[in-house]
Amino acid sequence: MTLRYARMGSDDRPEDPGKVLRRAVGEGRHLLWPALGAAAATLVATAARLAGPLVVRTGVDQGVSVGDRGVITWAASIYLGLLVLFYLASRWSTWAVAAVGERYLRRLRVRVYRHLMGLDLGFFERTKTGVLVSRMTSDLEALTTFTNEGAIAVITSTLTVLGVGVGLVVVDPALAAVVLVVFPLLIGASLVFRRYADEAYRRVREEIGLVLSSLQEGIAGVRVVQAYTQERHQLKRFHRVNRRYYEANLDAARAISVYFPAVDFLRTSTIGLVLLVGGSRVLAGQSTVGSLIAFLLYLNWFFEPIVQLSNVYNLAQAALAALSKLFGILDRKPAVAEAPHPVDLPEPVRGELRFEGVTFGYDPAAPVLQDVHLVIPPGQRVAVVGETGAGKSTLAKLAVRFYDPQEGRVCLDGYDLRQVSFRSLRRWVAMVPQEGYLFDGSVRDNIAYGRPGLDDETIWEVCERLGIDGWVRSLPERLDTQVRERGSRLSSGERQLLSLARTMAADPAVIVLDEATSNLDPETEATVERALGELLAGRTAIVIAHRLQTAERADRVVVIDEGRIVEDGTFADLVAAGGHFAGLRQVWADIHRTA
Amino acid sequence: MTRALSDPETRLGLRLIVGKLFEYRRDAVASVVSALIWMGLVVAGPYLEKLIIDRAIVGRRQDLLLPLVGLLLVVGGVKAVGIGGRRWYAFRLSYRAETDLRNRIFEHIQRLTFSFHDATATGELMARASSDLSQVRLIYAMLPITVANVAMFVLVGGVLVALDPVLGSLADLAIPVMGILAFVYARRVIGTSFELQQSLARMSTVVEEGVSGIRVVKAFGAEATEIDRVDRTSQQIFEASMKLAGQRAAFLPGFELVPAAATALVLWLGGLRVVDGAMTLGDFVAFTQYLVLLVFPLRLTGWFFAELPRAAAAAARVVQLLRTAPEITDPDEPAEMPEGPGEIRFSRVEFSYPGGPPVLRGVDLVVPGGSSVALVGGTGSGKTTLAYLIPRFYDPDRGAVLLDGVDVRRLRLDDLRREVALVFEDTFLFSASIRDNIAFGNPDASDDQITLAARLAGAHDFISALPDGYDTMVGERGLSLSGGQRQRIALARALLRDPRVLILDDATSSVDAATEAEIRRNLKGVMRGRTTVIVAHRTSTLALADRVVLLEDGVVVAVGPHRRLLAEVPRYREVLAEMDPEEATA
Ligand SMILES: Nc1ncnc2c1ncn2[C@@H]1O[C@H](COP(=O)(O)OP(=O)(O)OP(=O)(O)O)[C@@H](O)[C@H]1O
Ligand SMILES: Nc1ncnc2c1ncn2[C@@H]1O[C@H](COP(=O)(O)OP(=O)(O)OP(=O)(O)O)[C@@H](O)[C@H]1O
Ligand SMILES: [Mg+2]
Repeated sequence: MTLRYARMGSDDRPEDPGKVLRRAVGEGRHLLWPALGAAAATLVATAARLAGPLVVRTGVDQGVSVGDRGVITWAASIYLGLLVLFYLASRWSTWAVAAVGERYLRRLRVRVYRHLMGLDLGFFERTKTGVLVSRMTSDLEALTTFTNEGAIAVITSTLTVLGVGVGLVVVDPALAAVVLVVFPLLIGASLVFRRYADEAYRRVREEIGLVLSSLQEGIAGVRVVQAYTQERHQLKRFHRVNRRYYEANLDAARAISVYFPAVDFLRTSTIGLVLLVGGSRVLAGQSTVGSLIAFLLYLNWFFEPIVQLSNVYNLAQAALAALSKLFGILDRKPAVAEAPHPVDLPEPVRGELRFEGVTFGYDPAAPVLQDVHLVIPPGQRVAVVGETGAGKSTLAKLAVRFYDPQEGRVCLDGYDLRQVSFRSLRRWVAMVPQEGYLFDGSVRDNIAYGRPGLDDETIWEVCERLGIDGWVRSLPERLDTQVRERGSRLSSGERQLLSLARTMAADPAVIVLDEATSNLDPETEATVERALGELLAGRTAIVIAHRLQTAERADRVVVIDEGRIVEDGTFADLVAAGGHFAGLRQVWADIHRTA
Repeated sequence: MTRALSDPETRLGLRLIVGKLFEYRRDAVASVVSALIWMGLVVAGPYLEKLIIDRAIVGRRQDLLLPLVGLLLVVGGVKAVGIGGRRWYAFRLSYRAETDLRNRIFEHIQRLTFSFHDATATGELMARASSDLSQVRLIYAMLPITVANVAMFVLVGGVLVALDPVLGSLADLAIPVMGILAFVYARRVIGTSFELQQSLARMSTVVEEGVSGIRVVKAFGAEATEIDRVDRTSQQIFEASMKLAGQRAAFLPGFELVPAAATALVLWLGGLRVVDGAMTLGDFVAFTQYLVLLVFPLRLTGWFFAELPRAAAAAARVVQLLRTAPEITDPDEPAEMPEGPGEIRFSRVEFSYPGGPPVLRGVDLVVPGGSSVALVGGTGSGKTTLAYLIPRFYDPDRGAVLLDGVDVRRLRLDDLRREVALVFEDTFLFSASIRDNIAFGNPDASDDQITLAARLAGAHDFISALPDGYDTMVGERGLSLSGGQRQRIALARALLRDPRVLILDDATSSVDAATEAEIRRNLKGVMRGRTTVIVAHRTSTLALADRVVLLEDGVVVAVGPHRRLLAEVPRYREVLAEMDPEEATA
């Protein structure tokens, strides 16, 4: 009974970035050629941009300085040609990088979701919805932001720094040595910045996660908040969370507000140094003015990319963190998985359900069900009763293989559920969970959920059988009426009726109703049960309910107490036996007598 | 862009943005001033370099070299301080605005009425407080540097003309060309980015539904349906992104191209003019340097104006949310909370949900103080709705609800709701410990009080059996507890409030009979002297009440003790006979 909590919000541990990166690259193997194309275009664009100052130098040294108009015109034309080349290559590269990134993300998004959908129910019960939603949205968006704003910057900046480095050496090796003196300082400053910023940004990401989940809970629980007049209290709590987010951001801002000025000052110092040394060399006749000018132009391009790189640094960090979280999901093995060679149940499915020595606990150390033996012959309707928390819903979840037992097995028509293909299992076994969930959409969408594309005729037939056709007809837009998020425009009983209709429409052989009629009024419930009786004729059903008459209407009653089946028989038998069930019934009777 | 910026929606958004700017004017002024200092010195830099080249190097004055370089360093130092100030104050401004607006949104959402939340998806509100605000924040972060950049265009434009009027005017053409480019870009991009924003929001909704409804998804083996929805939404995101990428690819390199083209012009015309002696070599260098200087600011400014309409639209959505007035508020002149036993009176109450058919059509009902009534009626007959009118979750369209003789609309909401505790039919637990969930309405309750409430709700035993007891964390919606366990925690939460009026909306539907009997015994004591309204479907629950109210077709069709109704009202018998043949004859 241990409730273990996966604190998935804070698993932002900097897993070895190299490993994440290698894996990320591996994931994109199919995009190798487009990626190489994008890189080539980026290379051409960068080269075209870098060639500019060389042309200017030639123009100045051999044209302007010596008064050769022809050379000047030539240089200007070449410069213009380079520009056209730059524009085309850069346009191509911007587009191609985005295309590679978007295709990569498009695939990753669906892959992660597909994996997620394949995970077991236990995983979802332990993980906050908000966390999973943010994996599929903000984490993937962090990657988009990086590909759009960061990726090109990283490629061009790296290429530029390297290219310019070469350019500097080519133009004037002696001056290049001067720049080399400044370089260690730059690296030192960047390392310090990195250490500080990594931590600050990690906190920012953590805090924004908290802000979003508080926000989500504040919205989802707003009715309870208002009913209990806790608006002010909630707001105070939210202020605190929001405040921490603000402070984490200021910490990051502090790092940035020191680092960037420092880099800028280094740049100015380098220019000063170059002018000092270069100027002296020109005066000494060891160098030309043109070289000095070209050198200065290059120098600008040397620092700009470094600033750019630092600017996108946190984008890269966020992208890496997001990747490692997404891989975390992909690495999770479903606790309930399809067998390697699953079998389809041979049709017609008879619906014989058999629990053989089943022991199960959400925490294996604390079993909720113990050594359960239960054979339900085809077509039988079994009522499961017992105190709250006795394990009734758990039994239901095992019957539809939301969980696998730790010991023993659950069989349908003699096949261990673990061997049956999911497709076949879900086709023939349907469950109405305790908290019926409706999707935002029309009444039709919800009824046809298990059978997309079901025709209206069948839908109406199901409604008629359940006795809800009149009600559906009275809705403003009948089958097209939107039920809104979680079915919020319906009453709780109406929601249950739709959940039931959805299950009926799926036409299963085995049906598990977990308190599926608890919010219905007795009259409606009776109608529903009669309909179920007809529809379920020849089908196996497990019905969990707290109402006496549900048990009475069943072919057989199973009593669960503290995870064990303590009694099993027909209603009359159990009453006569004078055991646990008879006691329960006495409680009912007592209540009614005082009524 | 002007068109986009002039529609009333956007103006609303811009007003909010400017208003906040005024609120944080110290940060705003500090960052703009720092930005201007920075910009001024950035512009001075190339001029100093030109001086060094012309005077010291070309002019062969070795003695001037060192002092001039020294000056360059001093200027560089001040400039660095400007950068730091600009970044720091701009960040602080932008995060202040963001956090402040988010607090206000949260506060407002908490105050908006049930009817608003009925009609608004969670994802939508989330988008207001997250992506829309990030959009707005960016504008604040970019504003100071953009002001400085625009000033720089003016300054550099002037300097260029001063250096060489002919060439300068030509090179200055780059600035308006960039402006036009940014304008066209903004117009193109705004539609696409809105499309993208929409599909991203859809993704969040689709995933939220698939994950929250996972039990249903799995029960029907509908994983493929959900994956398909995500696949389709991904495709929409992909297409919008690619369209956007095409537009960016066409324009962004253009922002670099234009100043570079001006450089080519300078190289050619300027070079010729130096040869002609109309310009010095230093001027020439300064010219090229200035043009390089313009590249990044021009790009950034173009980007800023492309983002501005988007941010204004986001801000407008925020304003609209903040302007949505809660339909139910404190009265202007609230009445004193009456001293009384907690008598509830419905007088000719009519109610319908927006756009729906009438749910209540003239309900008249008196629940004497300290007594208990059970509401019985068919599915969708309006029991929950009737109960919701007491704590004013909705107001009746006509008629009135009175508590101890005072119309609830004349009471302060806090006063009213402190005296009326309601247990919802759908249990909502917060991700917090069981203790915090029970003490939700009374954060200052002592452990003894909490335990007592849990005992009364029949929850103490199972809570104590948990390894962490009351400190056990329950998740969102409490999915790791059984249905009955969750309901009892919600019940304990209401009992701890010690209200004058207790409303239980089918609050024990998932609780077994034995436990219910225990709760019932406990409640008997609790209910003494307290008005209780119970919505019930089970006879066992009806037994709790002094009187039963049968609701049908939006009116009260019968009121009276269970036994009398059984004896006298055929319709009531019908309902119960169906439910329990054995009992009906008893
Ligand atoms: N996802 C889960 N993780 C951990 N423990 C769980 C989880 N779901 C249920 N439990 C625990 O297992 C026990 C059995 O729960 P189950 O939902 O089967 O009870 P139940 O008999 O259906 O009760 P109810 O009638 O109240 O619905 C309870 O003590 C519950 O707290
Ligand atoms: N938020 C809403 N918007 C529009 N219609 C609503 C809304 N909530 C309920 N309704 C409609 O109003 C009617 C009365 O609903 P209400 O929840 O009061 O019924 P109820 O008697 O409590 O039913 P149940 O026993 O199923 O809980 C129903 O027909 C329902 O569809
Ligand atoms: Mg209701």
